[in-house]
Amino acid sequence: MKLGLAYYLVVLVLSTNLIGVEAFAHEVQQKIVERREVHIPLGDFTLVDQNSREFQFSKLAGRVVVVAFAYTTCPDVCPLITAALRQVQSGLTKEERKRVFFLTITTDPEIDSPKILAGYAKRYGADLATWSFLTGDPAVLQKVWKNFGVGVKRKARGLVDHTPLTAVVDRQGRLRFAYVGPAPDVKAVLQDVRSFLVQ
Amino acid sequence: MTTFRLILALLALIPFAGCGRNERMDLIYSQRCASCHGSGGRGDGQIAASLQTPPPDFRETVQRKSNSQIRKVIAEGKGSMPAFDPALRPSEVNDMLQMVRFLSREGRDLAWWEKYDTLIAAHCSIPWEAALGLDDAPEKKP
Repeated sequence: MKLGLAYYLVVLVLSTNLIGVEAFAHEVQQKIVERREVHIPLGDFTLVDQNSREFQFSKLAGRVVVVAFAYTTCPDVCPLITAALRQVQSGLTKEERKRVFFLTITTDPEIDSPKILAGYAKRYGADLATWSFLTGDPAVLQKVWKNFGVGVKRKARGLVDHTPLTAVVDRQGRLRFAYVGPAPDVKAVLQDVRSFLVQ
Repeated sequence: MTTFRLILALLALIPFAGCGRNERMDLIYSQRCASCHGSGGRGDGQIAASLQTPPPDFRETVQRKSNSQIRKVIAEGKGSMPAFDPALRPSEVNDMLQMVRFLSREGRDLAWWEKYDTLIAAHCSIPWEAALGLDDAPEKKP
C-alpha cells in the first residue's frame, strides 16, 4: 500500500511540469481557457524561423512577447490559438506593434519545416514583421517546451498531443501570464500585453 | 455487354481505391478532420462554430469539385484548414478524397449503388494497392 502511494507520488511529481499544466490537447477538449498569473524566468534558446534563419529568443529583450505552442497539422486547438493570436496582433496599434513580438513554436518538428511553417503563417495572414514561426532540432525544442511547461506527446505522423499554451512574456523575459485552452480571449491577452507596455 | 461495361467501370475505379469507406479512412477522418467538418461532413464539428470561416457541408460543395481540386485542398490546406502534405502519405490523402466523396453522397439516393453491392464487395475484397504496387512503405519511427 505504501509502495503504491509512493509510486503514485513519484508519477505525480514527474508528470507535473513547470506551470502545473496537464491538459493535453486532443485528449482534453476543454472549451474554457484558464488564465494563470505566473512569474517564471525563461532561459535563452535558439531555434530556426520560417525563413530558415536562426532565431535567438534573448534578442527580444525589452519587448513583450506572446508565445503560442502549436503545430501546422493540428486538427483542433491550434487553428483557434493561431487565429486568436492573429486577432491580438491586428488589435495592437502601430506604436504598440513596435514593442510586441509574437512567436509560434512548433510541437511537431518532424513535419513542421521552415517551409511548412511559412505556408501556415501565410494562410493565417500573420504579419511576419513582428511574428516568427519557429522550429528546430528536437532536442532543443524539448528544452524549450520544458522551459515553458508544455507537455508534448507524439501519437502518429503529424498528430501530436500537447499542452495548448499561449503565454505572455514581459519585457524582462519572464513568463507572466499563461492561458491554457483552445483559444485565449483576445481582449484579455491585449489587456495583459498592454499592462507591460505601460510599465 | 453490360457486364463488360461494368467490369471496365470497376477497373476505372482502381486508381482511386473506389471502395467507399473503410476503417483506415474512418480513423484518419475522425482524428484529423471531424473536429471541424463533423463526423458526417456537414461542417458541424466540435470547433466549427469557433472558426472564422465555417467548414462547408460536403453535400453542398463536393459535387462541384474535381478530384484534383479536393486533393489539392487536403494536401495544401486552405485558410485555417491544415496542409496535410507531408503528414499524410499520398495514399492517405486519396483515402480522405474518397471519404469526402462518400460523405458528400450521404443521405442521397443510393439505389444505383445498391444494385451492384455484390460486385462492389467483391472488387473491394481485392487488395488493389498491394497488387498494383501502390502500397506505402512502412512508416519509419523518428
